[in-house]
Amino acid sequence: MLARVLAAALAAAALVCSANAQDAYVIGVTGALTGPAAGTNGPPIEGLRLYVDRLNASGGINGKKIQLTVLDDQGEPSKAAANAKRLLTQENVSLLVLSSLSSTFAPVIAETRRANVALMLMGAVCPKEVYPPADLLQFCTTAYAGGYDSRATLAFIKETAKEPVRIGFAAMAIPLSRGEIDYAEEQAKAMGMTPVDKEVIPPPTADYTPFATKLKDANPNWIFSWAPWVTQVKTFEALRRLGWEGDYITWAHIEAESELARLKDGKFYVIGANSLFQDNLPIHKQIVEEAKKANIRYPAEQMTEGWIGGLVLEAVLKAGGWPADAAKVRAAMENVKVDTQGLRGGPIEWSKENHFRTRQYYRVYRWDPAKSAVAVTKDWVSYDVK
Amino acid sequence: MQLIANITVLAAIYALLACGYVLIYRVSRVMNMAHGELAMLGAYLLYTTASLFADHPVSAIAAALVLSLTVGVLVYVALMRKMTGQMVLAAILTTIAIGILLRGVIVLIWSASQQHPLQVLKFSNPSIELIGGARISTCAALMVLATVAVYAALFAFLRFGRWGMRLRAAGQNPLLAAQRGINLNAIYALAWALSTLTGSIAGMLIALDSGLDQTMVVIGLKAFAPALVGGLDSLLGALLGAVIVAAAEVLAIHYIDPLLSDVVPFLVIIATLIVRPWGLFGTREELDRV
Repeated sequence: MLARVLAAALAAAALVCSANAQDAYVIGVTGALTGPAAGTNGPPIEGLRLYVDRLNASGGINGKKIQLTVLDDQGEPSKAAANAKRLLTQENVSLLVLSSLSSTFAPVIAETRRANVALMLMGAVCPKEVYPPADLLQFCTTAYAGGYDSRATLAFIKETAKEPVRIGFAAMAIPLSRGEIDYAEEQAKAMGMTPVDKEVIPPPTADYTPFATKLKDANPNWIFSWAPWVTQVKTFEALRRLGWEGDYITWAHIEAESELARLKDGKFYVIGANSLFQDNLPIHKQIVEEAKKANIRYPAEQMTEGWIGGLVLEAVLKAGGWPADAAKVRAAMENVKVDTQGLRGGPIEWSKENHFRTRQYYRVYRWDPAKSAVAVTKDWVSYDVK
Repeated sequence: MQLIANITVLAAIYALLACGYVLIYRVSRVMNMAHGELAMLGAYLLYTTASLFADHPVSAIAAALVLSLTVGVLVYVALMRKMTGQMVLAAILTTIAIGILLRGVIVLIWSASQQHPLQVLKFSNPSIELIGGARISTCAALMVLATVAVYAALFAFLRFGRWGMRLRAAGQNPLLAAQRGINLNAIYALAWALSTLTGSIAGMLIALDSGLDQTMVVIGLKAFAPALVGGLDSLLGALLGAVIVAAAEVLAIHYIDPLLSDVVPFLVIIATLIVRPWGLFGTREELDRV
């Protein structure tokens, strides 16, 4: 008798779940919620959740709620692959979102190809496959992107430097960080700078001083680092402790704003595609309010990437209509234009050929000792994405 | 000179973390795979106590140390005690589960954002110039001093302390020790408490020096290599193993390729296992496999 009751209850629960899933847009997310990369890759997922909760509270999209299924991959390729497989084959998601280290890309992309479901990178670095001519299934909302970031950074260094540039580089030993720094080294040579050293630092590092020592010994007057925030900032702090006094420029990850205020170093520049909350735009105020209401665990200024992901997701699902399936969502993603409301220098536009954006905008911030505040050092500069 | 300073600081980090592995292995033959997570938890406890007692840094540090000791005892009493008499493998798997659990709990409570307990404590971390122009941070110097103090205290405790002798006895022959009236559960709880405390001290100092984030777990795991090289049941071995691994790592970074720093500890382990499978100062007869 008990067994029959249990079986009936399980069947009813399964029906309810299935009905709920069928009555909502099902979106899968895999990301580094824990592990060494969690500080950079966790908050975008929280930001997306914040945006989706807000959307659901106001009635959803096309009258349907969005069901986010989030799984933690700890930044490990094997776990990311297992998550992707589960989300694509068991949860039947119509879109997969990835916010993790670049080492997880290959297995996740392989799974999305098998399932023919679009992959949206959000908070994870944009790979070259999203540039024209873009891969059919890969799309990216993340601010940072290989190639363009180095070009913009080196252009800023060239414009700012008052003497011939002897440049050092710091990367993390993960595929895209290394690739970008190798690219930057070649670009620097072509721009007349002298590369003096390149340190590729493994992710689990107890002490950054040995790497910083080697960099300092090469006597650079500028150093460029393009890596997860931990590597960027710890290398810089180790250099300063060794007495190095040069200029350091690095990617403005989501942690940048609070870290600029903590370090208070006028020669520590961050270059990025997102506006910082010190600009105090209406959208910033809105995010702060929503974050406060939801009592999130991360600072509100780290929600930008997730919020932009949410804006794009909303536009895509609206355009895709209802009922949603992977093919309709993918088709909608190939024709989307999203106003980022000041969070970026311009909109995110996707077409059949371009799954990144038509123009990429950059801004440079640093701590201004005179104003004792974070300040814009170089305002938006744009690059056409071809 | 800077190279020597770098080796010394890295060796101090590894040695302070490695002694936690040794303390538990020595008394129970269990490899604690959650040691990195426990060290990280200790650092987060400091972050919390620092936030609570921002104007009383000494109280904050003392409270964090007491809490770390308590966590060690609780881990044993609540989980590891149930493993007594079970296969060693089951106990090791339990420590892996504890590690996974702690990682999740830490993110839930403190988030994965980088934290800076130094800032909360309103301390600064200026560089100290050593002879020969080498420089280390104040926290790195404290790390070296703390390692010396912890090892000196542990050697004295194990050699002369009543509970230290009981701990050694339980490690050498638990059955005989129990028959002589030694409370094995109290000894194991003490080992877990001391191991967690030393790991937490390392975690706190690393966090004070360079911030607190999830990478500490991996650093904790890397310190397993010096413990293995030195011999898993020897404190002196852990100390020497830490110096060897740190020297190999720093020299590889400086003279060969920075990427090798990840591989070098394992090369040292392989070399040690070929020459002395029980480690430099480990006990030979403990190995009972073919």
